[in-house]
Amino acid sequence: MLNIVTCFKWVIDEAYIKVGASRELDLEWADYKLSDYDRNAIEEAMRIADIEGGTVTAVTVGSSDATKGIKDALSRGPEKAIFINDPAFTDLEPSQTASLLAEVIASRLQYDLIICGEGSSDLYAQQVGPRLAELLDIPCIAFVSKLDIKERQVIAERKMEDGIEVVTAPLPALVTVLPDINSPRIPGLKDTLGAAKKSVISIGKEELTGMAKPHLETTAIEAATMERHCIKFNPDAEGIKQFVDALLKEGVMG
Amino acid sequence: MATDYAPSMQQAGVGSLHEKKGDVGMDFKLTEEQELIRANMREFARQYVDPIAVEIDENSRYPAEVMAKLAEGDWMGMPYPQEYGGAGVDYVTYACVIEELSRSCAATGFTLSCHTGLASGPIYYFGTETQKQKYLAPLCKGQHIGAFALTEPGAGTDVGAGSTTAVLDGDEYVLNGTKTFTSNGPVADTFVIFAVTDKAAGTKGMSAFIVSKDTPGLKVGEHFMKMGIRASQTSEIILHDCRVPKENLLGKEGQGFRIAMQTLDNGRIGVAAQAVGIAQAALDESISYSKQRIQFGKPISKNQAIQWMLADMATDIAAARFLTYYAAYLKDQGQPYSKEASMAKLFAAEMASRHTSKAVQIHGGYGYVKGQKVERLMRDAKITEIYEGTSEAQRMVIAGSILR
Amino acid sequence: MAGVWVLAENRDLTIELLNIGRDLADKVSARLTAFLPGDRDRGQEYIDCGADEVLVLPALNPEQTVDAYIPVIVDEGRREQPDIFLLSGTLRGRELAARIAARLDTGLCSQCTALNIDEKTGLLVMERLIFGGAGIQKVVCQTRPQMATIAPRTFEPARRQNREGKIRELPASPESAVKILERKPKDRAAGSITEAKVIICVGRGIEKQEDLALVNKLAAATGGEIGCTRPIAEELHWMPEDTCIGLSGKQVKPELYIGVGISGQIQHITGIRDAKVICAVNNDDQAPIFDAADYGIVGNLYEVLPELTRQLEKITNK
Ligand SMILES: Cc1cc2nc3c(=O)[nH]c(=O)nc-3n(C[C@H](O)[C@H](O)[C@H](O)COP(=O)(O)OP(=O)(O)OC[C@H]3O[C@@H](n4cnc5c(N)ncnc54)[C@H](O)[C@@H]3O)c2cc1C
Ligand SMILES: Cc1cc2nc3c(=O)[nH]c(=O)nc-3n(C[C@H](O)[C@H](O)[C@H](O)COP(=O)(O)OP(=O)(O)OC[C@H]3O[C@@H](n4cnc5c(N)ncnc54)[C@H](O)[C@@H]3O)c2cc1C
Repeated sequence: MLNIVTCFKWVIDEAYIKVGASRELDLEWADYKLSDYDRNAIEEAMRIADIEGGTVTAVTVGSSDATKGIKDALSRGPEKAIFINDPAFTDLEPSQTASLLAEVIASRLQYDLIICGEGSSDLYAQQVGPRLAELLDIPCIAFVSKLDIKERQVIAERKMEDGIEVVTAPLPALVTVLPDINSPRIPGLKDTLGAAKKSVISIGKEELTGMAKPHLETTAIEAATMERHCIKFNPDAEGIKQFVDALLKEGVMG
Repeated sequence: MATDYAPSMQQAGVGSLHEKKGDVGMDFKLTEEQELIRANMREFARQYVDPIAVEIDENSRYPAEVMAKLAEGDWMGMPYPQEYGGAGVDYVTYACVIEELSRSCAATGFTLSCHTGLASGPIYYFGTETQKQKYLAPLCKGQHIGAFALTEPGAGTDVGAGSTTAVLDGDEYVLNGTKTFTSNGPVADTFVIFAVTDKAAGTKGMSAFIVSKDTPGLKVGEHFMKMGIRASQTSEIILHDCRVPKENLLGKEGQGFRIAMQTLDNGRIGVAAQAVGIAQAALDESISYSKQRIQFGKPISKNQAIQWMLADMATDIAAARFLTYYAAYLKDQGQPYSKEASMAKLFAAEMASRHTSKAVQIHGGYGYVKGQKVERLMRDAKITEIYEGTSEAQRMVIAGSILR
Repeated sequence: MAGVWVLAENRDLTIELLNIGRDLADKVSARLTAFLPGDRDRGQEYIDCGADEVLVLPALNPEQTVDAYIPVIVDEGRREQPDIFLLSGTLRGRELAARIAARLDTGLCSQCTALNIDEKTGLLVMERLIFGGAGIQKVVCQTRPQMATIAPRTFEPARRQNREGKIRELPASPESAVKILERKPKDRAAGSITEAKVIICVGRGIEKQEDLALVNKLAAATGGEIGCTRPIAEELHWMPEDTCIGLSGKQVKPELYIGVGISGQIQHITGIRDAKVICAVNNDDQAPIFDAADYGIVGNLYEVLPELTRQLEKITNK
């Protein structure tokens, strides 16, 4: 029986971000989604729980905007959710998120295995998992593409630039997972309906020792623009010749 | 494609808009569950339906693999109670799902709505407990596919002109006649078939029966090659001394016409949602194409003529969607919704036809070529003006209701 | 005493960090310190490349991962109080940086694309991409050290000069709880696409792995290397991971990039932002990649590639 904790974030869906007239990002129309790789994290938690037996608890830090995200996460299988919820818990930096998670997980949950996505699809700072492991003082294995538990040891394959490393660490441990570790399910209708009935424990700021001060200060956010010619050619021999001529003119051929 | 934002992800359902209670406000927001369910169906359709939509249209092929996936995700008995294997969701949710599925493939959307609304609906609303356990449960679980056979060669809009007969002989009704345009016919396990039990009684002499596909005397005709929704399977059902056990009579003898009409009221919400999905897809395609297509040195979307078409499209889609959700909402509230379902179906179907044609116009010659989505959308849209009551029939229902 | 620290898992990456590190150290009048895992002999080279001091981390036994170094680095950090700490943004580097930042209780800017010193405040201004590459975020760090990871090849390597500096050995590390059971090194030399002048990049528009032959021919005709999108590497496993280009893959700066059967999602486009000329072949004329491309051919790659290869071969054979 394993107590598995999986952390997720409810993020702005970058597909809906528009660029304003003066290169500012227009988030007014943005919709939210469960961060892509957190879907893999939840799926992996469910997979391990299926094999090893155990319970899965999903934990998130956010403001009340994230209630939908909690249902989304629960519809993917976890038994219950912990919602570290305060209006102040938006736009946190990774160190703050990690410290809130650490306090709640340490004080309220039994855990053998913590699974996080390798990074969130909004900030993609890839810090929360490793920072959380440090704060809890447990072994950390990041960027895992294959995961097994054997005799209370994590056996993980991680893909590094120079090859694959198979590593092991004793439980309790934290892993962050890569997207190719599994294919997250698309929740069925009953999964979504059932999610509303699962237990969600909400923990407010007043129940915590206080939020860590930010280290970072964002001084600006602007749109990343690219100016390109955007010229299209036909797929016939003539069009391809024009295309090749354009490359020759640019001086990037031969 | 991530570039073009489709408003349907964010707009919402219609809330308490009915005339009776002036004190009730309006709530245009879908619930979180409804939004999630819609998003899940969008992802489902993107993952499983988009990749095959062109091929199943071209080959007029039944997407069995998608139907199996739908069953896996509990999408096959959406509005019916969990005790029968359904999911027990409201009709607003149902409409959202049919819309999203139809946005990827109208034929798949209709296959599901025909199964759910037309075939399972009458068994749920009029069936006995035994009938529900035996027939509705496998339909809701997606183990069986359902079809609804009302139309006959000589009885289309004029449902009462049906000439298929059912005669009680001992413990069995003996059915004879030919049904046509039966959607899901070639793939169905369970049929709801209408036949005349008492000729003299007119529409009050019609009855409905639950018939299994393997009942001797039931023959499924050839699958029709159609202009649109080509992946939806349509055929004749030929009944020749087809002996149906007495206990498969749905409701009472003589209730058939009522069952048919009520089922169609219900089904119209599904067709309206299907039309909205088709039109939304046409708008999605038109927005992205018009921003990309350069003529006279600028994207064609910079021309007011194109902009007006897009604006009209977006406006009509929003209006149709609100009408559709409103009809669904009334049904959920247990209020009369027949007129509103007809209005939604009429308006949504006609606007889908109009705007898919505009979408082809915006695509110019490229929109007329096979394989372009708008070409399929235009063919698919047309049927929504015809089945489950033509636009003319809807106007008759609406007029009848307001002139009462 | 204020200092700039750099740490990377190998020589080449350290030399890159030494270049930007030296630049920043000069701007804030600080000493530049480089970590050297294992092999002490490299110390002088790092000094020649700009380091004032080299801290040698004693070699680990083979079953240990680099995270064993964390306690030693953190102790040293607490003692020396560096002002700026740059780490190479390899996967190991990113994990290490986050964990060190947690222990030192400071901020970390992941995968910086630009670094500057604000003349007024003296703070390090760090830029990074957010929302999958759609936005650029500028951050400063109010605590010390100001930490950043930097993707490999963001900066040029430092040049070697004759310089003098100190080499100091750090104490041995305690064993880490994470142990390596097995290493499966890559057969292919990594990093070639990051240096390629021409890159032909393939996406999911390719139907089967065998069809990569078509792309190989085009690459041969242009003298280019082959890259791919994330699904090709991570889902289909048709190409090695180190050829994946984009936000979570490699950042490339070729003269010419040709994307074949690639839709052009922002996470991929972010990786080719700095290419001189971007081209695309896609049969969907509305694919977002055409917005990011200089030249595009709208058509089926199975028809376009053979003809394109033929025409290019004619030119290069001349
Ligand atoms: C693809 C497809 C799937 C179908 N699926 C099913 C199914 O699953 N089950 C089923 O039972 N049926 C199904 N139908 C049948 C469909 O419901 C009928 O086609 C429809 O009701 C019209 O009937 P009809 O074709 O006989 O046309 P008609 O009734 O002959 O109508 C021809 C025209 O005359 C108009 N018209 C008729 N009467 C009047 C009037 N009184 N006043 C003004 N105008 C009038 C009609 O609106 C129409 O424009 C399907 C049809 C198609 C094409
Ligand atoms: C946090 C995060 C990080 C990510 N990091 C990366 C990253 O580093 N790199 C990366 O690449 N992705 C990354 N992704 C994934 C990215 O969002 C896209 O899913 C991915 O880039 C799409 O790959 P693709 O273009 O190959 O496939 P698709 O999007 O499926 O596109 C295939 C294209 O091929 C075209 N096509 C099909 N058949 C043909 C034909 N016969 N001829 C011509 N064209 C054809 C189609 O029109 C289509 O446009 C990341 C995602 C997230 C959330």
